[in-house]
Formats: sequence, structure tokens, C-alpha cells
Amino acid sequence: MSKYLDLSLKEINKLLKDKKIKPIDLVEEAFENIEKNKDINSFITLDKENAFKVAKELENKEVDNLLFGIPIAIKDNICTKNLRTTCASKMLENFIPNYDATVVEKIKSKNMIIIGKTNMDEFAMGSTSRTSYFGAPKNPWNKKRIAGGSSGGSASCISSRIVPFALGSDTGGSIRQPASYCGIVGMKPTYGRISRYGLVAFGSSLDQIGPMTRNVYENAELLNILCGKDEKDLTSIDKEKEDFTSLINTDIKGMNIAIPKYFVTDIVEKEVLDKFNEIVEILKEKGCNIEYIDIDYIENAVTLYQIIAMGEASSNLARFDGIRYGYSYENPQNLEELYTKTRQFGFGDEVKRRIMVGSFILSGENAKIYYDKALKIRDDIRKSFLKAFKKFDLIIGPTTTTVAYDLESNLDDPLKTFLDDILVIPVNMAGLPGLNVPIGFSKDKMPIGLHIIGNAFDEKTIYKLASSIEKTLDLNLDPRGEKNE
Amino acid sequence: MDKLTREQVMHVAYLARINLEEDDIEKYRVQLKKLIDDIDKIKDIKNYDEEFLISPIEHNTNLREDVVGQMLDYKEVIKNAPNSNGNFVEVPVMINE
Repeated sequence: MSKYLDLSLKEINKLLKDKKIKPIDLVEEAFENIEKNKDINSFITLDKENAFKVAKELENKEVDNLLFGIPIAIKDNICTKNLRTTCASKMLENFIPNYDATVVEKIKSKNMIIIGKTNMDEFAMGSTSRTSYFGAPKNPWNKKRIAGGSSGGSASCISSRIVPFALGSDTGGSIRQPASYCGIVGMKPTYGRISRYGLVAFGSSLDQIGPMTRNVYENAELLNILCGKDEKDLTSIDKEKEDFTSLINTDIKGMNIAIPKYFVTDIVEKEVLDKFNEIVEILKEKGCNIEYIDIDYIENAVTLYQIIAMGEASSNLARFDGIRYGYSYENPQNLEELYTKTRQFGFGDEVKRRIMVGSFILSGENAKIYYDKALKIRDDIRKSFLKAFKKFDLIIGPTTTTVAYDLESNLDDPLKTFLDDILVIPVNMAGLPGLNVPIGFSKDKMPIGLHIIGNAFDEKTIYKLASSIEKTLDLNLDPRGEKNE
Repeated sequence: MDKLTREQVMHVAYLARINLEEDDIEKYRVQLKKLIDDIDKIKDIKNYDEEFLISPIEHNTNLREDVVGQMLDYKEVIKNAPNSNGNFVEVPVMINE
């Protein structure tokens, strides 16, 4: 059986250009991989028939870009025209969007081939993907453990080498944290870098779509085609087009790098911290200047996140009323019962909890006590980060406090899901770009990740450092035990 | 928060338009109390800047031109409605005679 998808993007592209393989060969291989990895439960919906149809059509087209004919998986909270988009919820179990998200349009315009929709926490609310109505995806490094969340399906499908590319979304770490747990590269770009049109809204002032890939270079290549101003998203930013790969593998000597002291306290497990400190030593040897700094209110970021994300979620999810789309309670006695019972039976526990707390936060005087105050302190965090970036090129820390834990543990604690993201949430508060790059393994062979934070709209410098670390460590990140070249 | 009462839980459920069964009320009372206690930590934060941004980044708002563009085909859109009748979405009776 052929293994073209294990080759590098450039190698696959060359084979396609030289007509030694066809896009349909890649699609066939992707679906074989899905079959072999069924137990990982990365996908909610497959688009097999259409993927083969698109691949066939591409045979008559010129291979005009690097991503041409490459299979990609899309997180199931990103709308795909005529392809079921469930948000991993019973509420949208049968929802078929009438339009493509802007990122999906961009992917299709480059002739990438969408093979399916990936599993996730319901409405992206969670840190383990266990709140999925369709069952949790599993970690390819140890199938008894979580893949992380909320983009757990995208992370596990890249990690298990089903396809080389996936999209995730990140409201409070949902790309970077599962990327860390599964040993892949995941980027949350600057807020506004990528259009959110067609991303089912959770926390609108925090949500951002981003690329999830097996290595740094391919991540930057996917970001190249995703970004840009979109008239359909007021918060997307008009920036001159740039090549995010341009600094990859350039010399990092003389880079100024900061480590927030909070990121290396005892909230981080020793094994993860030791691995992080090894990287710090490597960076020093390579001529980077490292300093430890304070970021104002960083220790309050989770509290602020809870308030802002739950408040915005309660408002965003008010649209699920059983009338225009989605699950609808049958034979209600009146309109009120249609609303309340549709939402009782359509949403899972985690989502209901967050909507109720969000409603509490935004009701009456509470809006001032909680939400307004959280926005103010969030801005102080942002300013403190910006001040640091006047002196430093990048900020680093561990991505997570632990490695991926057991699928059955921590099920009864509603706070645990927020604490899993304690090191990644501050970045969403400040709207900054952040990336996970794998840096090694725990003694029980679970991946550990490095979190690299950049200044607003400076994703390029993040890729610069990440590529240097990736090249230096040269880790085997293929859970099948084979070298991924 | 000293105590989250049963009535307060029912009130937020009402605001959120989520029906709660009798057994759910106590379960959510315990869980919501835990979450609200945690977010109450914000009350202890002092000396913050009174200015704030709604958006996490600074940028100018560029509104698009107010011109009629392409819309989604309502016949397609209405296919997602659980109950429809011709060009209309059906809802339960709102006003009783």
C-alpha cells in the first residue's frame, strides 16, 4: 500500500506535478488511514463520495499551488456547504449549512480536498473533547488518554497521520492545548488575522481559527492561504500579504526571549517543567537572551476567561431555539416550552452549565460587576504583554501543566476543564498569536509541548523560533513508531 | 457568594431558557455554585485601569458599503427549519383565543 501522505508537502507536490500520482491516490490513502484509525474517533462526518468526486475533477486541472490536491480535515464548528456541521452537539445533529465559511472557500479555491469534519467538545466548550455528543476522540499516543480539546479530533487526526492538514479553532487554548497533548504543531493566529465568518460563534471576542499540522513549515504554508480581510467579518484585519515561511530555519542567535515567571511556578508538573528548562538551556546555547518577567494579572486570566467566554457564549447560543434550524422538541404546548425543552434536550451538561453561568454574569447589575470589569482587566493584560514586546521578540512557556491524562479521570470537576488551559488562556485575553511545538516526551511516552507567543501580527517570528527548535530536536513525532519524513 | 439558592438556579435557568427537571436543580445548584465562587475572585482585583477595549486588539472598524448583495436562497435555508409550511417557518400558537 502506498504511503504518499507520509511524504513532505513539497515531495507530494512534486509527485502531483510530475503526474506520478493523482489527487485520488491521496484521497484513497486518507480514507484507508481513517479506516485503520477508526478507534481514535477523530471524525464526526466523512465526506467520502464528494472527496473522490473532487479528486477526479482535479485530474483535469493544472497543479498550480503547493496545497493543490492535498486532503484536509475541518473542525466541525466550521460551516461547510452541503456537509453536515454538528458542533459535536445533538442540537445540530442534522444541520446542513447553506454556505461555506470563508476559510473553507479559501481552502477550496486552492483545490485542497476536504475529507471530513473532526470531533470536538460540544460547541468547543471543554478541554478534553469528552463533551462531544459523538463520544470522545482518543490520544494516538495512548488510546486510554484524552486527545485534549476542544479541537481534539483535528489534533488526533494529524497526530495519527490520517491527513497532513486540519483546521481547529481556539477560544481559550483549543488549538494549542490538544496540539501539545497529541504532539503536533498548532497555531492560534492573532485575533483578526483570519475571518471568523462561518465559524459557529462561542466567545466572539476570543474565537480564532488556526492551522494544525505535523510540522512547522506546513503550518505556515496553511496559514498563508487562510488569512486576510473579509467583508463578512468586521473584526478581520486588512494586512499586506506576507509569507509566513520566510523566516523559517533562519538563525535565532541574538533573539530576546521572555519567560513569564507565572509559567514556571509549581502549577506545572515537574516532568513538563524539566523538559521546558532543557529547551531554555538549548536556546541559551544558541545565543538567545532569556529573561524572566512579570505580566500583570496573568494569574487572573482564567477567571477573566470564564466571565468573558461564558457571558458571550450565553448570548451567542441564544439562537438555538428549535425554530429555524437544529433540534426541536416535538409537540410543545406553547412557544416557551418549545424554547426551554429544545434547549434542555438539545444541549449537553457542560454547555447548559456555561449558558446558565453566562446568563447570571450578564443579568442586571452583574454585567458591571463581572463582564465589564473582566474586559477592563483583560485590557491591562494586553497592555502588559505589549510592553514586554517592546523589549522582547517572543515569550515562551510550557503549553500545558501536565501531559494528556486518562479519559476516565477528572470527570466530576466543572473547574478542571478551565485549569487545563491555564497557560494558554492569557494569549486569548491579549488577542496575540501563540503556537505549540512538540519538545519531547514524558517517561510514559506522552508528548510535551512548548508554547511560543508572539507580538500581534508577528506569526513569522514564532515560526522562526519553532522551526529552529524542531530542527534541533529532530523528534520522531509519529505514534506509529516510524520516522515521519 | 455565600449561598446559591434553589430559586436563584431556577431564575438563571429561566433567563437561559433551559427547562430543569426536579432532579437537575440540586445538581446544577452545586455545580453553578462552584463556578460562580471561582469567578467571584474578580471582586478581589483592585487598581485596574478603568479604560477598556471590547475587542482584544486595536483596529479601525471598517464597515462595508451598504449595498444590496447576494443573499442565501430562502428555499434552501428553510430546509433546515424543523417545521415549515411553504415559504414559512412554523411555530406553536403564540396567542390563545
